[in-house]
Amino acid sequence: MKRIIFLLFLAYEFKADLVLEITESASKPVKIAILEKNSNSLSGQEIINVISNDLKRTGEFKVLGMDELLSIPMNESEVIQRDWLLLDVDSIIFVEVQNEDNNLDIAYSIFDISYNETEDKRRVLGLPDSLRQSSHYVSDGIYKYFYGIEGISSTKLMYVTRNSDTHKLIISDADGFNEQVLLKSNNSIISPAWSTDAKEIAYVSFENNRAQVFTQNLATGKRNLVLSSKSSVSSPAWSPDNKDLAFTSTKDGNSEIYTINLKSKKITRLTENLAIDTEPAWSPDGKNIIFTSDRSGSPQIYEINVRSKLKRRLTTEGNYNARASYLGKNEIIFVHRSNINFNIAKLDLGSRTLEVLTSTKNDESPCIAPNGNVIIYSTKDGNLSYLAGINISSKVSFKLPALYGELKEPAWSPFLR
Amino acid sequence: MKNILISLFSIFIIFACSSTPVEKVDVQETKTVDLTENSQEETDDNVVMSDVDLGEAYVTVLFDYDDDTLKEESLEELFAVSRLMKSNAKYTLLVEGHADERGTREYNLALSERRAKAVEDFLTATGVSSFNIEVVGYGEEMPVDNGSNETAWSKNRRAELFFIR
Repeated sequence: MKRIIFLLFLAYEFKADLVLEITESASKPVKIAILEKNSNSLSGQEIINVISNDLKRTGEFKVLGMDELLSIPMNESEVIQRDWLLLDVDSIIFVEVQNEDNNLDIAYSIFDISYNETEDKRRVLGLPDSLRQSSHYVSDGIYKYFYGIEGISSTKLMYVTRNSDTHKLIISDADGFNEQVLLKSNNSIISPAWSTDAKEIAYVSFENNRAQVFTQNLATGKRNLVLSSKSSVSSPAWSPDNKDLAFTSTKDGNSEIYTINLKSKKITRLTENLAIDTEPAWSPDGKNIIFTSDRSGSPQIYEINVRSKLKRRLTTEGNYNARASYLGKNEIIFVHRSNINFNIAKLDLGSRTLEVLTSTKNDESPCIAPNGNVIIYSTKDGNLSYLAGINISSKVSFKLPALYGELKEPAWSPFLR
Repeated sequence: MKNILISLFSIFIIFACSSTPVEKVDVQETKTVDLTENSQEETDDNVVMSDVDLGEAYVTVLFDYDDDTLKEESLEELFAVSRLMKSNAKYTLLVEGHADERGTREYNLALSERRAKAVEDFLTATGVSSFNIEVVGYGEEMPVDNGSNETAWSKNRRAELFFIR
């Protein structure tokens, strides 16, 4: 019996892949077709499938199906321009699989219909067992060609799921496939964060009945308690150079922001007052940290220079602004309370213009994709929390519904190349 | 020196001329850490508290939204706790602070700890030794009511007092 339960459990573990749904598409998506060059292979079809889904999932592409085509060229020289102009297709992507020795390489070219010529040619080197990942790289190349912004299909997402008393910290591909459980616990896990080299993660675990920060090596699973303390330690954030971890702790009696050098273990205290100071996030150049403080009576976002410790308040609108992160150098995103709802908002640090980006009720944990153009956050529908996202430039919105229980605390990986 | 420069230059030429840009894909393996089995991992810390069910709270006090001020209606019960603790110095109290689901998790963690601290401050002000009080914040992680409405939220914004020894 025990064995059967174990098997059932395993089956359950492997079953779950999240499916991303586009809730609002771009007003004028790029129309393309993806064809295999000079062949019709099984792996070719699989690759085209992954790429099509990646591009559709951005909400910024319309990928034509085979049944919608007027002619099917085997290569560039067979393209009948008129057929494709009729369909209003922008470009054809020719994909060529090169399966030699123990490699699986994908060459691809972008054939522009109106110019009637090949505009871009690239190649991704991979292994047969990295077919999905190699295809994601192709998708990212195509995305960049059309939009001038790095694609994020080849990146990963980290998040927390909760199903009754089981909490799991999980990493999956950006499309929700290939879930891998990093930590399984009977206690809450919050605030997962990636190291900038994507080799380690940090998170808050309540496994010892209080908030503690651990780092964990992804390849080995080796964990380190960052700071042993009787007080809570939480909200880890890796510095851009990966050397320091910013965190919050009440070890000196009140919630303050600190940094710890991960090698020397030297701790530096950044804030000192009687209010709550928490949720540190580094500026891209590592010189400043933004954080939430209620020193004014309500939570607002402040910025502190790590060296000089000079502070300034960034948010002034509204009585609840928290959990901020930088969006490039000149903007921040954060949780903003507007009337009764908690939404994700963006503030331009130059013009001080605040823009509310979401319209659901209880939006939290906003996090930015490494291309700086997609925000993912967790939100709630009834008692079910799930992930939702928005593309800043195209206004495309999407959601990642929870398959079971709760899905929360998203953290987008850095670029993995 | 000149040779090195020439060879560096030719390397540059080779790269610049290769017609198609190339990317290499790596697949990263990951390991799972499972804490749900009894083999709780040994960590180098001395703060592990016994994972026992403390049962029902001796006293629960409620708070307003984004606030850690003790309400007047809670004071009578807290005075009773204070008297009890002063009558026997062996009593040790654990105060657990909690928050409702609204707002961010980390801010709520800090807020919940402040609520627990407000209870501690009150008790120490009435003469209880702070050595006999432990505080911990659980943020919004352990609601008593899972609903998303004011009734549930008002129950969840709380501090629970347990006698642990």
